[in-house]
Amino acid sequence: MIEFRGVTKKYPNGTVALKNINLKVMKGEFAFIIGSSGSGKSTLIKLILKEEDATEGEIHVNGYSVSTMGRKQVPYLRRSLGVVFQDFRLLPNKTVYENVAFGMQITEALPREIRRQVPMVLGLVGLSKKANVYPSQLSGGEQQRVALARALINKPALLVADEPTGNLDPETSWEIMKLLTEINHRGTTVLVATHEKTIVDAMKKRVIALDRGVMVRDEQKGIYEDESKDGQVHY
Amino acid sequence: MKVRTVRYIIKEGLKNAYRNKLMSFASIAIVTASLIMFGAFYLFTVIVNYNTQAFKDKLEMEVFLKPELDDAQVDRIEESIKANGKIGEYKKVTKEEAYEKAKQLLGDDGKVLEGIDASFLPVSFKIKLKDPQDSKEVVEQFKNMSGVENVAYSQKTVELFSKVSYWVRVISTVLISVLLIVSMFIISNTIKLTVFARRKEIGIMKYIGATDGFIRWPFVVEGVIIGIIGAVLAFVVTGNAYHALEVRFNADVLNMGADLFTFVKFRDIGLQLIGIYCLAGIFIGAVGSLISIRKYLRV
Repeated sequence: MIEFRGVTKKYPNGTVALKNINLKVMKGEFAFIIGSSGSGKSTLIKLILKEEDATEGEIHVNGYSVSTMGRKQVPYLRRSLGVVFQDFRLLPNKTVYENVAFGMQITEALPREIRRQVPMVLGLVGLSKKANVYPSQLSGGEQQRVALARALINKPALLVADEPTGNLDPETSWEIMKLLTEINHRGTTVLVATHEKTIVDAMKKRVIALDRGVMVRDEQKGIYEDESKDGQVHY
Repeated sequence: MKVRTVRYIIKEGLKNAYRNKLMSFASIAIVTASLIMFGAFYLFTVIVNYNTQAFKDKLEMEVFLKPELDDAQVDRIEESIKANGKIGEYKKVTKEEAYEKAKQLLGDDGKVLEGIDASFLPVSFKIKLKDPQDSKEVVEQFKNMSGVENVAYSQKTVELFSKVSYWVRVISTVLISVLLIVSMFIISNTIKLTVFARRKEIGIMKYIGATDGFIRWPFVVEGVIIGIIGAVLAFVVTGNAYHALEVRFNADVLNMGADLFTFVKFRDIGLQLIGIYCLAGIFIGAVGSLISIRKYLRV
């Protein structure tokens, strides 16, 4: 599903954001990428979306060879996966319904299909009643659910979330995590970048830890802190 | 691109133009203002060209013969006019016709002609040259011909007119070009502002996998709509102003009995004007949008 082979990312200003990352996420997995700010989590997500290009190494996502693909191919890569961001990134001029439908319109889907699919996904995230409301009239949790609905509208095999609960209170965060788990149970691979300890610890999922651009840990059913060695805390 | 996508793009362009009313309004105002100025120069050039041409077409010289010539002598001169290859057409003005014309010209003062008969007036020939360039030569020929009293020819006026119209053309071409460049710049900047205000939106669309075309075309449609509205407004303003001026100016000038300089009839130029306006508006709107959005598509 996702494969990084010897990936290094250097920014033009000299910062090395990722160093020799080797990583494989299989179909149907649920994985956390953790680390403090500046650890390279966001860069890793940006590389998956081809918002940035890797300096070295190979990246494969959903059957696309991300490191070698041309600019014209990028939209198709992005359509093949669902993305959720910390700041929701909804279109302010469109209603909830239109925001979700937009995800399908860009694929030139049939209007009939759109009319069928959008209410279904809105039902899945529990927002059927807010279809005709604008994002600014929604709470943070609701906005994130709209974003989730939009990410799911094209039935992607992979869902990538960059700090999806970063702007939400604990309770709403749990709602979102529950939704992500449910989506995962339906067969979608889920990759979540986060630095929220409580969530990671409680979920007992695969944990990939980054520290200053280096992958320091990759555990199945991991927790946020690694206290295995001499009481020192590693992130 | 599928039909439903085209429909989406047009709908989206219209919606956006409406949702961003303030910016659309600003852009329309600028397009309208630029086109009005552009149109004013354009119309001015057209009028000057038209009049120069009309003047050249009307241009004739009149050869006055000595009044005392008898018919045979007059005929001889007429023969030599006929034989002259440089002369296109000519018209003989008899003594009687000259008398009538003089009476007409004098109007109420025509009484002074009472008691005088036509014989004191000269026979004359109105001559049109095939090529006005030959005028000097032909004038000389007639002046040297025996029996010719005088040759009237408005050579100086023609030259002046030609020169003025040449410079009007040069100056208005330069001004129109400068104006077009300046308004393109202003308009693309205004659209840049709209695009800048919506750069986040563009970024989001790119993130969820919209192609550049899918994002770009609604903006272009929006620009074209703004261009067309601007063109129509500019046409309404310029058209009405021109029509009012034309009617008044022509009425005033024709009242004086002169037809040296006239406005081109609005109905002869209106269609051309709206056509040029729409083309310019569409061009400015579309190109302005394309230029402005390019930068923000690189996400």
